[in-house]
Amino acid sequence: MYPLLAKELAEILSGRALWTMLLLICPLIGFSFIEAVSLYSEASTAALQSPAAAATLSPLDGILVPTFGSFYVAVTLLFPFVAIRVLGQEKESGALRLLVQLPYRSSTLVLVKLAAILAAWAAASIPVLSTLLIWALLGGHLGASETANLLFGHSLYGLLVGAISLFAATISDSSATAAIVALATTIGSWVLDFTLAGRPGLSAWVAKLSLTQTLQSFEQGLLSAGLVLGMVTVVGGLAALSTVWLPPGTPTRVKFARSVPCVLATIVALGLAAQIGASADVTEDRRNSFSPADQKLLATLRLPLVVTVDLAPEDPRYIDLRRNVLGKLERAMPNVSIVLAGVRQDQAGQSDAYGQVEYVYGGRTDFSRSTSPREILPLLYELAGTKPPAPIQGPEYPGYPLVANANVTLLWFFCGLPLLIALAWWWSRLSPAVKS
Amino acid sequence: MMTAPDFARGGGSMELLRVVDLAKHYDEEAAIAGVTFSAAAGEVLGIVGPNGAGKTTLLEAMAGLVGADSGNLLWLGDALPPAHRKAAIFYVPDGVKPYQDRFSKGYNRRLLLAIGLLTPHRVLLMDEPFDGFDLRQTRNIVEVVRKAAGAGRAFILAIHQLADAERVCDRFILLAGGQIRGIGSLRELRTQTGISQGSLEEIFLALT
Repeated sequence: MYPLLAKELAEILSGRALWTMLLLICPLIGFSFIEAVSLYSEASTAALQSPAAAATLSPLDGILVPTFGSFYVAVTLLFPFVAIRVLGQEKESGALRLLVQLPYRSSTLVLVKLAAILAAWAAASIPVLSTLLIWALLGGHLGASETANLLFGHSLYGLLVGAISLFAATISDSSATAAIVALATTIGSWVLDFTLAGRPGLSAWVAKLSLTQTLQSFEQGLLSAGLVLGMVTVVGGLAALSTVWLPPGTPTRVKFARSVPCVLATIVALGLAAQIGASADVTEDRRNSFSPADQKLLATLRLPLVVTVDLAPEDPRYIDLRRNVLGKLERAMPNVSIVLAGVRQDQAGQSDAYGQVEYVYGGRTDFSRSTSPREILPLLYELAGTKPPAPIQGPEYPGYPLVANANVTLLWFFCGLPLLIALAWWWSRLSPAVKS
Repeated sequence: MMTAPDFARGGGSMELLRVVDLAKHYDEEAAIAGVTFSAAAGEVLGIVGPNGAGKTTLLEAMAGLVGADSGNLLWLGDALPPAHRKAAIFYVPDGVKPYQDRFSKGYNRRLLLAIGLLTPHRVLLMDEPFDGFDLRQTRNIVEVVRKAAGAGRAFILAIHQLADAERVCDRFILLAGGQIRGIGSLRELRTQTGISQGSLEEIFLALT
């Protein structure tokens, strides 16, 4: 398999798409990073006088997410052209007819192409990875787990875009058509997210399928088992479909017939992944968790907790409640059910109960309109008949304010790095010397 | 439908591959129909015919790169389904330029021939192996093919230039309109057509 992988990597390196993408994203990422550092420094200037303000400054939110956000845009728009090349070039040159004759199964060919796509993504991430090094050199702090989690999320996203592009290349006659199919999927996903997110019912469920939503958890510092499994499932499903559609000699009706079980298995696996609620809070400031003492006590409350929320899903109060209380409760307690009362925001003023949240635990019920854990946790402990825990002494999150000027990195992103990339491109095109 | 007599040369070569009643249609038109022949070890078999005769479709159907509508292949007497054909047969296609940015057409062509000759397969299908080569290069390739055939490999070559085919092939399959119009060695074809000293070109024109 290694000669095959070497061939695929050589194919990607010999094409223009990867190098062009690298050259284009250098200024994009550089600009995003410099702007992020500038804004972070402004906020840090005020926070240096106040420990409370300093504690709100997290490099994850202030530096990493905005910088990687520009990388996400580049991957969505440009990476399909890189990924399509692993198959599109062979289809157009006719070399696919040679490839399928090699003593490898179609599934092996597809898996090796996916591995090459992942390697291409790793190469394309060099500019954004350099921002981590520069931030560290400027004296900035990087939380290991939250940074690794964000990188992991982006690598999964890159693999997902790559798998979509590979499948598009498999079913299309030309690279141009494959690019249209892939971009229609990735950009169409943006449209889905923009128009349907925040709406109730089926729209909310469909909006969750958007590719944009896949990165949100990682950006919030959550490692969600269900989400990771879901993304891996979709990548696997697309790889399986690519395997079905790759061989040129198989009749189309047979390919369609073989695709049906692949699609059904993917849907079932996605459904199962969606049931997995386990997730880990990997942030340094534990923003997705209650205090350690509360987490410990809540884990012992084993009876079912049913929370009925009389708020529209697009209501900002519900979004606050979800972020500050409900999401944390789902991770802390073993048995939590959250039910939306099915209200739309245009009906909000019609009911006195609108805005009320009902908590039922162990046969006891209480109501609250608060979205803050300071009011909700004591309410829950009272329902459970237990006292609030004594706080566990431990270090508070200090925050990491930093006043720095990253303008000098303009030279790196606009000159130095593009020059290195251009040199690497030139070097890759040198033919190896053949010994006579 | 015309069938080929089993090839016998010297001590008698073993039949490796038999194509039985292969057919492929595109919409209402038959690209190939009722094609039956065999290929033996050490034999160079030439499929000759004009452009559009069905040569490429026949080779691709044999290699399993195009799904045949009917017919099958036998390998050493056993059925060879499309999914298993790449274990026995290697097909060197025409018009493939894997390194079109770096190499000329001729160099790409030589690269493909080298790839085909390096494979371990006992039967090699080649589509227009002499296309784009000059006379000297063609003679070199003929020499290489004959040497490989002498070592026991069977070659099935699709060739539209009859002079090249006459130079390299032991037997010929004359294909026109997707159907076999004549099959056998040059001597056998001369006997069939009654043209005792005829060239392959004259025989082809007589039979098609």
